[in-house]
Amino acid sequence: MIFLTVGTQFPFDRLVRAVDEAAGRGLLWEEVFAQIGAADYKPVNFKWVGELPKSEYAEMVSRASAIVGHAGMGTIVMALEAGKPLLVMPRLPEFGEIVNYHQVATGRKFAALGHVLMAKDEAEIAARLGELEEFKPKERVARGEKVVERVAGFLEALRTQRTPSPPTEAQRYRENRRP
Amino acid sequence: MSQLLKLEPAWGTCDCFFVTTNEVVAGELRKKYATKAYVVIEANRQSPLKIAKMLWQCMKIVLRERPSAVVSTGAAPGCLVSYLGRLAGARVAWVDSIANVERLSLSGRLVRPIADVFLTQWEDLADAARGIEYLGELT
Repeated sequence: MIFLTVGTQFPFDRLVRAVDEAAGRGLLWEEVFAQIGAADYKPVNFKWVGELPKSEYAEMVSRASAIVGHAGMGTIVMALEAGKPLLVMPRLPEFGEIVNYHQVATGRKFAALGHVLMAKDEAEIAARLGELEEFKPKERVARGEKVVERVAGFLEALRTQRTPSPPTEAQRYRENRRP
Repeated sequence: MSQLLKLEPAWGTCDCFFVTTNEVVAGELRKKYATKAYVVIEANRQSPLKIAKMLWQCMKIVLRERPSAVVSTGAAPGCLVSYLGRLAGARVAWVDSIANVERLSLSGRLVRPIADVFLTQWEDLADAARGIEYLGELT
């Protein structure tokens, strides 16, 4: 099953319609199931729902052989953590799908790193869907230990000593004499 | 929020409270961490009136809680609480969200001058001269 998910807050008809058309033309290797959110366009070539409860959403992700979605960070991280091939298409402000171009930047970055496939618009969807079946996403290794350490150290320093004590007279004297 | 929760080892032992824009998330946080979670209105720069309301809500929270530190991964409420907290004597640690891949977030750029710790999660956005560090990524 190919899972199409476009977020639930704003419609993303361009993507839903493009995947529906591809399914209608028999371009897909498996049936599609879609969470179309607030979309006005209703697909005719596969089953869909408006919004899935969290647990069913997670089940769809785990059952899917591939995922198609918008280029939101939530979708990308979710697919990478599940190890699923993901095709993204960025929402664009000129169609009222979002307020700025940050999904273009996000999609481009993660596609360049080999983590996802990206179609920049609906004209590219069919071609990218063709690549999706064989696409092996590059695994993302998040190394957050040092980030955590840095913030922990900062909070710890605040706790033990609200403000760093000023240098003593002797320290200042030594500092000034240094060549 | 998911990125902030990845920082739990850092703030987990502190006496802390949360500020979020989502009632469901707030409920989960209260349950999971047995601590206070405030909900403020959802708003962005496209809606100045809502931002004003959010500012008022954040002011009440900061005056009531008097935090000694603010830790945030971003967006408007994180930015407002950072500034208000700073005015009330708090120190600020900012981890710019992973979503900002080509440029720091607007709220991040605003908070940078008053942040004691400022981290980006993308190596090419680090800038030692402006105090922007890259040490890895949370997600």
